[in-house]
Amino acid sequence: MEKLEKLLNNSFEQHEIYEQENEYKSISFESNKLKEISIKQSKGFAVRAIRNSGLTFSSSSNYDFEKFNNNFIQLSEFPTKTSINFPGKKVESKNKVKIFSKEEFNIDNKYFINKLSENIKKVLKKFPDALCDAEFDLGLGKSSLSNSNGLSIQSEESGVSFFISAQTINGNDMLNIYNYASSVKNIDDQVIESLTSKLIENLSIAQNIKKAPPKGCPVIFTPHGLYQTILSPLLVSFNGTNLSKNLSRLYKKENEKIFDKKISITDNPFIDYSTSSRNYDAEGITSQINTLIKRGRFISGIFDLKTSSEYNCQSTGSAERSIHSNTFPSTSNLIMDNGETSFDEMVKQIDEGILVDHLLGSGQGNELSGDFSANISLGYKIEKGQIVGRVKNTMISGNSFNALSKVDDITSEIETVYGSLKLPFLQTSNVEISS
Amino acid sequence: MQKDYKSIIDQTLKNKKSDYKEIRIEESVSTRINYNGKTRENVSINSHFGGSTRAMCNGGWGFTSFNEIQQAPAKMSESIELANYNKNPVFNIHSNSPKKITLAAEVKKDPISIPLSEKVSLLDHYKDLILKDKKIQGCEIVYGDIERKVIFADSEGNEIEQNFIHVILRIAANSSDGNDLLQSGFSIGSLGDYTIVENLDDKVIECANKSISLIKAPKITGQETTVVLDQILAGVFVHEAFGHLSEADNVYENKRLQDILKLGEKFGNSDLNITDGAKIPNLRGSYEYDDEGTPSSITPLIRDGILVGRLHSKETASKMSEKPTGNARAISYAYPPIVRMTNTIIENSSNTKEDIIKDTKDGLYVKNWYGGMTEHEMFTFSSAETYKIENGEIKETLRPVKLSGNLFTTLKNINGIANDLEINQGGGCGKGGQMPLPVSNGSPHIRINNCLVSSG
Repeated sequence: MEKLEKLLNNSFEQHEIYEQENEYKSISFESNKLKEISIKQSKGFAVRAIRNSGLTFSSSSNYDFEKFNNNFIQLSEFPTKTSINFPGKKVESKNKVKIFSKEEFNIDNKYFINKLSENIKKVLKKFPDALCDAEFDLGLGKSSLSNSNGLSIQSEESGVSFFISAQTINGNDMLNIYNYASSVKNIDDQVIESLTSKLIENLSIAQNIKKAPPKGCPVIFTPHGLYQTILSPLLVSFNGTNLSKNLSRLYKKENEKIFDKKISITDNPFIDYSTSSRNYDAEGITSQINTLIKRGRFISGIFDLKTSSEYNCQSTGSAERSIHSNTFPSTSNLIMDNGETSFDEMVKQIDEGILVDHLLGSGQGNELSGDFSANISLGYKIEKGQIVGRVKNTMISGNSFNALSKVDDITSEIETVYGSLKLPFLQTSNVEISS
Repeated sequence: MQKDYKSIIDQTLKNKKSDYKEIRIEESVSTRINYNGKTRENVSINSHFGGSTRAMCNGGWGFTSFNEIQQAPAKMSESIELANYNKNPVFNIHSNSPKKITLAAEVKKDPISIPLSEKVSLLDHYKDLILKDKKIQGCEIVYGDIERKVIFADSEGNEIEQNFIHVILRIAANSSDGNDLLQSGFSIGSLGDYTIVENLDDKVIECANKSISLIKAPKITGQETTVVLDQILAGVFVHEAFGHLSEADNVYENKRLQDILKLGEKFGNSDLNITDGAKIPNLRGSYEYDDEGTPSSITPLIRDGILVGRLHSKETASKMSEKPTGNARAISYAYPPIVRMTNTIIENSSNTKEDIIKDTKDGLYVKNWYGGMTEHEMFTFSSAETYKIENGEIKETLRPVKLSGNLFTTLKNINGIANDLEINQGGGCGKGGQMPLPVSNGSPHIRINNCLVSSG
């Protein structure tokens, strides 16, 4: 490391060294049986250095500094143009969010094996022919970030996730439903129980296959379906990488009303024990709450140092990185404001419609335009105000901007999706259903 | 094999008793060059080094991965300890005659030997070509090459060192109609042949022009229609629509699925023949030994419309009393091997593309790909180019579409297979968190009736 620091001090105006060490444990059941326990350790380092407004990046998990230095010198002949300055001494935030809990790694493997086994048994009690996969994943990470401007940040992070899925086969119809939760600390028994109960409930409803509703019918998205279908392509346009390149439909449209006034979305890194929370971003910028949409108006995108300098704004403290990637802007916890209607009331008002929960093939088109199109791998038929069964061989397509420009209703209930998204159920007719 | 690795491997494999144990050590160096918008965004070299151990006890697995190779013997003890939590029926690992062998990388024009300056200057040139037309908003170029050395040894006596060099390139052009952003692109790849990324000027200009032509192209409304797929998209189709369900880890513990996917059952018309094989030479999914040390093979999956084979790891082959096919693959030392496709191909039939188009009254001609996904019998895949077919002729350009279907009906709905097989090596496959695994897919032009299509 000394050789590397010498090279960086002598040849560059600014530099940054990032080191990361992780350990992941995974306990996985396949087809109702324990299949594998694995422990993966990884460590490595990444370096960014700047001279003459050009940035050089390289990373390695091989601590052969002579090779690394040679590569770095070679790479520095082809730098990326930038005018960023790495931050100086760290600025403490008023908010201090909890992102670490070590105890879970000391829990005996048998605890997790028993927990997975118990929950699979619950599914099998109701569906004896089901095949369940289930998994606990535990992660522990340590990182350090230092730069030539005096910044030095050490951070410890942890994560636990629980996953359960069940597959049933009737004739040539295969149904697979899964549920998932994640947290920085161990997942409460209550949460696991409710995920398994929900899985059993959904499996029961989904056994009944119904004809897809006609085009133009009302469509409700579950929080999961809302993210997969509409928000995931939409967020591409909020990302500083695309805003800074004029590849976003939101380019220089701050404060314009783009969406229905029922829509407000915030990026909040300060939720205790949420897996996407952070006190500092991956460049050492103090985290902050970012309003993305307020009552239908586009307020801000999310930026790291490089993209913010190109867009002529401040970093929003949103830099993310893995050991082998340069930094890039990424959201933390995404929260959509709730409405006033309960989910039951929303469903009750629909004569014939569809509840979209899971998609197959989303995110595989031209997301820059906000377009989406996918097969509804798990969607429920609504008839006369009740969820009565599952639809098959049905596609949904549309555009995220259009879908959120006229929203029929948003529920008062909010659910957590993928551990870091807090979203309501949302009803819109600005999408196309085909079957 | 290097001496220091040999002694670590010997120590690791005699460490403790288990039904079966293996170790992998891997070194790799990858170069990536990326462009986004109008500028070069990143030129980087990333080095990876690490190892893993895997042990089987009581019919289940323990796996550890690490960066400090000296820890391997201790990590093997840990893998055995983890495997001992299993309480499953014990199965026998299929044993082939063990090999001690070192295999050099397949190379035609070695991308690793090309100076970085030459690569950057070629890609700068492609970027400039795309941006020449003012209607182009930006480009996306991703170049990558990787040199990988993988050493595998197991308690059966295998000691196999394999070396691989891959190169990939994706080029896309973005245009805008003032509101929507449109994209057209292509992806290519090879096993150790840098010439595939050279002399692409015509293709790059065509890509920019196609992006511009999308500005005025209309979107389709969702419908069931006849589609004619070009070789690239048909390759993605066979991978998604059939390939994943032929991976035996979907089937080996699933009696109901075994009844549905019974060898000897009819899945398609009599001119449908599908094959997978890493033994097919010089493609991105080609290798001599898989990541469990099983020799690669060429596996017929469908012959004359009948299901005749599936893809196996040692475990799935043993549990289904079938022969291992050498399809256990891990994307790196940090992951255990799982059943994966390699080079998956729909074989030629007797029609010509022209016959198929001429014979199509009303439908879509879909070309090139964005992506694809599978969940059991359901699949989706998306085209990058779409054209209307009217009365046997290719007509106007449409916006890209997404196609979706069900394995059981869609394979039977293939009613035209041409004789112009081509193989696409520009893609990667994702499964179990391991992506992008190098694979190739190939097919002649094919026609599918009653395919569900929506604007992509």
